[in-house]
Amino acid sequence: MNEDEMRELERKSRAAFDASVEAADAATRSRLARARATALTELRHRGLRRAAPWLPAGAAAAAIFAAVLWQREEAVAPVAPGAVAFEDLDIVTGGEDFDLLGEDADFVAWAAEQAPDGVG
Amino acid sequence: MEDEPVIRSATLDAPLSLGRPGTAREKTLDRERALDRFLAGIERRAHRIACVALRDRAEAEDAVQDAMIRLVRHYAERPEDQWRPLFYRILRNRITDLQRRAGIRRAVMAFWSGGSKDEPARDPIEDVADTRGRPDEVMEGEELLARIEAVLATLSRRQREAFLFRNFEGLDVAQAAVAMGCSEGSVKTHYFRAMQVLQGALGEWQA
Repeated sequence: MNEDEMRELERKSRAAFDASVEAADAATRSRLARARATALTELRHRGLRRAAPWLPAGAAAAAIFAAVLWQREEAVAPVAPGAVAFEDLDIVTGGEDFDLLGEDADFVAWAAEQAPDGVG
Repeated sequence: MEDEPVIRSATLDAPLSLGRPGTAREKTLDRERALDRFLAGIERRAHRIACVALRDRAEAEDAVQDAMIRLVRHYAERPEDQWRPLFYRILRNRITDLQRRAGIRRAVMAFWSGGSKDEPARDPIEDVADTRGRPDEVMEGEELLARIEAVLATLSRRQREAFLFRNFEGLDVAQAAVAMGCSEGSVKTHYFRAMQVLQGALGEWQA
């Protein structure tokens, strides 16, 4: 193969390739443009990571904190709030509560009388 | 010189500097615009090259998108004149991966269907439709390209890459060496051999 033949083949094949690139259909162009846009979002994410390097660690810490809080809520409040309110109402309105208070008062008075002088 | 904005802190003795407003953001935007221009200028050629190498349009699109993402992710900070060979280096690696997987798929299919992957190879030129005699110059170009693609499929991977990067993409020898991950001498040798085979296969048709 001489130099001229090689140059001619190079020229023709490159021209054929260039023409086929120009003839790319609209759907292919559109998909490639979308691929480019997807790739460029990487740069934005990278910029964000660089501007706020603590962001991933902070987000992870916040997520762990939220999870711990949620677990505690689950453990501490197993009964529905409405039910607790009804129980409280029962205690407040029950007559025996006042009787119990009276017994305690009598006991305290009795205990004070039993204490030896100078003690306590 | 303009003073930098500062925050007077109640707990720190020294004021807290915020840096120049928008500087880092503007830098990122400039880089993004430059990358957008670069990728927009190269994407269709890259896709066509990937099509020739893989002979599958969908896989070629995936390969180009992967190469774009990897370039942006790992090499966005490199000088712009390095992007082109680096992009093709990444694309080449992706194409090689896909070709290996396709080879394994073919071998498995051949095994299960009882066929052999060592069947005698057909002459690729014979598989290309003969459109000689048509006056349309565009058709002549398409026909030539189809024949070139068929011959390229018979070349070694290195020879095909050398031709695709040097001739189709127009990389110089040094850039092609970066893209192919080999020496410049190796690029020259592979390219020359590829041209010899093409000339031998197409010479008669071209005459």
